[in-house]
Amino acid sequence: MTADPLLEIRNVSKQFGATKALDSVSLTLYPGEVHALLGENGAGKSTLIKIMTGIHQPDSGEILLQGHPISLHNSAQAQKHGIAAIYQEPLVFPDLNIAENIFISHQRRNPLVRWGKLYRDAEKVLAQLGVALDVRALARGLPLAAQQTVEIAKAISMDVRVLIMDEPTASLSIHEVKQLFALVRNLRKAGVAILFISHRMDEVFEIADRVTVFRDGQFVSMAPVAEVTPERAIRDMVGREIGDIFVKEPSPRGDVILSVKALSREPRFRNINFELHAGEVLGLAGLVGAGRTDVALALFGIAPAHHGHIEYLGKEVHIHSPKQATQMGMVYVPEDRRQHGLVLPMSLMANISLPSVKNYRNQFGMVQHHKEAATAEHYRQQLSIRTSSLSMPAGKLSGGNQQKVVLSKWLNTKPRLLILDEPTRGIDVGAKQEVHRLINDLAQQGLAILMISSDLPEVLAMSDRVLVMREGQQMGIFERHEATQETIMAAAIGQSVEKPVERAAEYA
Amino acid sequence: MRRVRRLVPLQRLRELSLVLILIIVIVIFGNQIDNYYTPRTFNRISSTVALITLVAVGQTLVLLTRNVDLSVGSMVGFTAYYLGRHLSKTEDMSPMVLAAMAMGIGGAMGLINGLLVAYGRIPAIVVTLGTMAIYRGALVRYSDSKSVATRELPPWIKDLPQETLYKFGEYELRALPGIALGAVIIFFFILLYSSFGRRLYAIGSSPEAAHLAGIHAPRMVTLAFTLCGALSGLGGMVYLARFGTITVEAGRGLELQVVAAAVVGGVSITGGSGTVLGAMLGAILIGTLEQSLIRMQINEFWKDAVMGLCIIVAVSVDRILINQLTPWWSRTELQRMPEEPHAEV
Ligand SMILES: Nc1ncnc2c1ncn2[C@@H]1O[C@H](COP(=O)(O)OP(=O)(O)OP(=O)(O)O)[C@@H](O)[C@H]1O
Ligand SMILES: [Mg+2]
Repeated sequence: MTADPLLEIRNVSKQFGATKALDSVSLTLYPGEVHALLGENGAGKSTLIKIMTGIHQPDSGEILLQGHPISLHNSAQAQKHGIAAIYQEPLVFPDLNIAENIFISHQRRNPLVRWGKLYRDAEKVLAQLGVALDVRALARGLPLAAQQTVEIAKAISMDVRVLIMDEPTASLSIHEVKQLFALVRNLRKAGVAILFISHRMDEVFEIADRVTVFRDGQFVSMAPVAEVTPERAIRDMVGREIGDIFVKEPSPRGDVILSVKALSREPRFRNINFELHAGEVLGLAGLVGAGRTDVALALFGIAPAHHGHIEYLGKEVHIHSPKQATQMGMVYVPEDRRQHGLVLPMSLMANISLPSVKNYRNQFGMVQHHKEAATAEHYRQQLSIRTSSLSMPAGKLSGGNQQKVVLSKWLNTKPRLLILDEPTRGIDVGAKQEVHRLINDLAQQGLAILMISSDLPEVLAMSDRVLVMREGQQMGIFERHEATQETIMAAAIGQSVEKPVERAAEYA
Repeated sequence: MRRVRRLVPLQRLRELSLVLILIIVIVIFGNQIDNYYTPRTFNRISSTVALITLVAVGQTLVLLTRNVDLSVGSMVGFTAYYLGRHLSKTEDMSPMVLAAMAMGIGGAMGLINGLLVAYGRIPAIVVTLGTMAIYRGALVRYSDSKSVATRELPPWIKDLPQETLYKFGEYELRALPGIALGAVIIFFFILLYSSFGRRLYAIGSSPEAAHLAGIHAPRMVTLAFTLCGALSGLGGMVYLARFGTITVEAGRGLELQVVAAAVVGGVSITGGSGTVLGAMLGAILIGTLEQSLIRMQINEFWKDAVMGLCIIVAVSVDRILINQLTPWWSRTELQRMPEEPHAEV
C-alpha cells in the first residue's frame, strides 16, 4: 500500500485485574482499506476498539493519527478526530426516538433541534441501508436487528475517517448484510479506513483487504486477504486445526413433541404449521423481520398467539406465560442476551444456576456454592468459556463468552423442548463447533430443538428440516436433502418455489 | 389512524389522560363542596399550584437524568427566609433584582448538590438527603430560630399575589401562577428543542449509551441540579410573597409534594422520560386535591391518606393506559425498503 497510514496503534497493552486483555499489540489502518480483525472470544478485539474510541485508556503504547500521537480520553474526542465505532452490543437510548438515536452525537454541533429535518435525515440514512423504520417511534423494545441497524446508521451518519465495526452483522441476515457491504465499499472508495470484526468467515473473505489475527491478547499475524485462506486464518486464531463445519448426525425421529396448527398473531405472523419430533432439529430460517422470533415468543408464552392450536406432548395447551412454558419443560434461549439473557452484575456461576437454583439448595434452603461451581466449571470446559474466574461478573466477559453463559444457563435446566434464537451469535469458529456438537448431542438424547438462525451455513448443517418464513408467512418446510443455500434464500426472499409451498398447504 | 399517530406523540396522549383525570376530580369536588366553582377557589388553588409547579419543573430536570433532589424544600425555605430578612432591612429593591438574588442563592445551593453528585460520584439520594438537613440547619443558624413577620416586609411583595396579569371573565391569572407558567413554557421549549435538553433525556435513558456516544454527563447533571436550585430559589420568593411569615419550618415537606407532582405527571423516576408540561399537570392535580380536601375539612390524617390514594390511582390509570396504547402507537419493526428506494413515502 502506497498511501501513508491513517491510524497506527503501537504496542498497546491493557490489563483488567488478572486478565491481560491486550499484550503489546500493533495494528495499522490505511485510508481506503477494509481491515478485518479476527480472534477467538476474549481475544481482546472489543477491548482494542474501546481503546481506539477513548472508552478505555491503554496501560501502555500509543495511537498515532496521520503520524501524530493522539490521546483519547472519551469518545467525544475520538469522534472529533473522525473515529467512530459500532459496538458489539447495540446500546440504544430507549426513551429517545429512533431519529434522535441516530443523530445523538451530532448534537454538539447544533444547539437547537430541528425535528422536521431530523426525521427526514434519519429516514435518508436508513434508506441508504435499504430499510425503513418509523423514525418517530421510541427505541424502547426495538428488536435486536433493528437496534443494530440504528447503530450502523448512527456511525455512517457521522463524518468519519476511521470506522470501526465490532460484529455489525451478528444479528443481520443476508439482505441487510448485502446492503451494509455495498455501503462499506462506498466508504472505502471515499478513503475511509474500516476495521471490521466478524466471526463469519465468508463475510470476512468477501469484504476485507487485509486480515489481522489476535490470540489471547497478542498479535499473531497480518496479511493481505489474497495470501490468507480461511483455514490458515482459523489456525492462527485458535492455534490448532479445525475440521470442516460440524454437521448434525442423523438421529432417529421420535414422537411428536410439539405440533403447531394455523398459529397466528397479526401482524407479526400468520398461519404457521409444523410438527417437531423428539431428536429433531427444526431450523427456522428467513430474513430479519420475517417473524421468526415472534413465533418463538408465542410458543414460549411471552407474546401468545391470537389464533391457532399448540399441541405439546399430544395435549392441546394454551401457554400464557414463560413460567408456564418452563414448567412444561420448554426453554427459550433469547437473542438479546443483555436484555433478556443475563443478570450482568451477577457472577457467571450464579447466572448459570439461576433458573435451576432449587436443585442447588441444601436441606436448610441455602444455595450450595460448591455445587454451582462444579456445574459452571463443567460448562466452562465444554464450551471453552474464557474467564479468569467463575465469580467474574457476567457483564465483564467478552461478548461471545456471555453468549456461552446464556446457553449454559438454559441447557442446565434439562428441557424437553429447546428453542434457540441465534444460538451462536458472536461465538467464534472454534466454540461454534462445540455448540453445534452440543446441540447434536442433545438431539441424540431425544430433545426436540427449534433453532432460529440467520447464519445460513449453520441452518443447513444443523437442521433436519428447515422452515422458511417471509414477512410473517410460512413459505415452506424443506427436508434436509432439499435444503440448499439457493432453495432457502429463494423462499426467504419470496421467489416462488413450487414444491415446498404445496407441502405447507398439506399441513394446513 | 396513522396520521394521528404521527402527529400526536405518546407523551401528549399521556398528558391528555391526566387532564381527563383532573376534570373528573374537579367534578367530584364540585359535587361535594358548595360554592366550589368560584374565583376564590381558583385563586387559592392556583397559588398553591404555582409553588409546586415551579419547583417541580426544576425537579423534572433532575429526575430526567436519573437523579433526584430531596433538598428542594430546604432550598425554598432558606431562600425565602434570606430574602425576607433582606427585604426587612432594605426598603428599595426592584422585583427583578430580588428574583435574580433568589435564583442566585438557590442556584449556588443546587450547584453544590450537582458537583457532589456528578463529580463526587455520590448517589443523589444520599447527597440531597444530606444537604436537605444541612441547608435546613444553615437556615436555623442564620435565622437564630427567629421568624420573618409579614409586617416587616415592604408592601409590594405582600401585594404580589394579588397582582393580576390577565383576566378572563371573573377568573384571573395572577402574578405567582404567571411566574410558574413562564417557567413551564421556557423549560418546555428548552427540553424539546435544545440539545442540552435532549441530552438530559439521553443521560437518564441509558447512562452507558450516553458514555459511548461521548456525552459529557457530569457537566449536564451539574447544570440540571443548578437549574433545579435556581428554580427552587425562585420558589422561595414565591413562598415569601404568598405567606409573608417565614419560620425555620418553611418549605418542609415540599420535596415530597414536588416529587409526587412530577411522577403523577408522568416523569419517570428512573430517568429519561417525562415533560415539564406533565409535571405542571401533576402539580395542578396535587394542588387541587390538597386545597379541596382542606375545604372539605377532612381531618389532617385522612387528608394525607386520601391524597396518597389519589396519587396511586392517578399513576396506575396512567400506566394502564400507556401500556394498552403503546403497541398501537409505535410500529418499530424493521421494514425492508421496496426495490425502488424512493418509490413510496
Ligand atoms: N471491563 C472489564 N473488566 C474485566 N475484564 C474485562 C473487561 N472487559 C473485557 N474484559 C476481559 O478482557 C478479555 C478480552 O475481552 P474482549 O471483549 O476484548 O474480547 P473479544 O475479542 O471482543 O471477544 P468476543 O469475540 O467474544 O467479542 C476477556 O477475557 C474479558 O473477560
Ligand atoms: Mg467483542
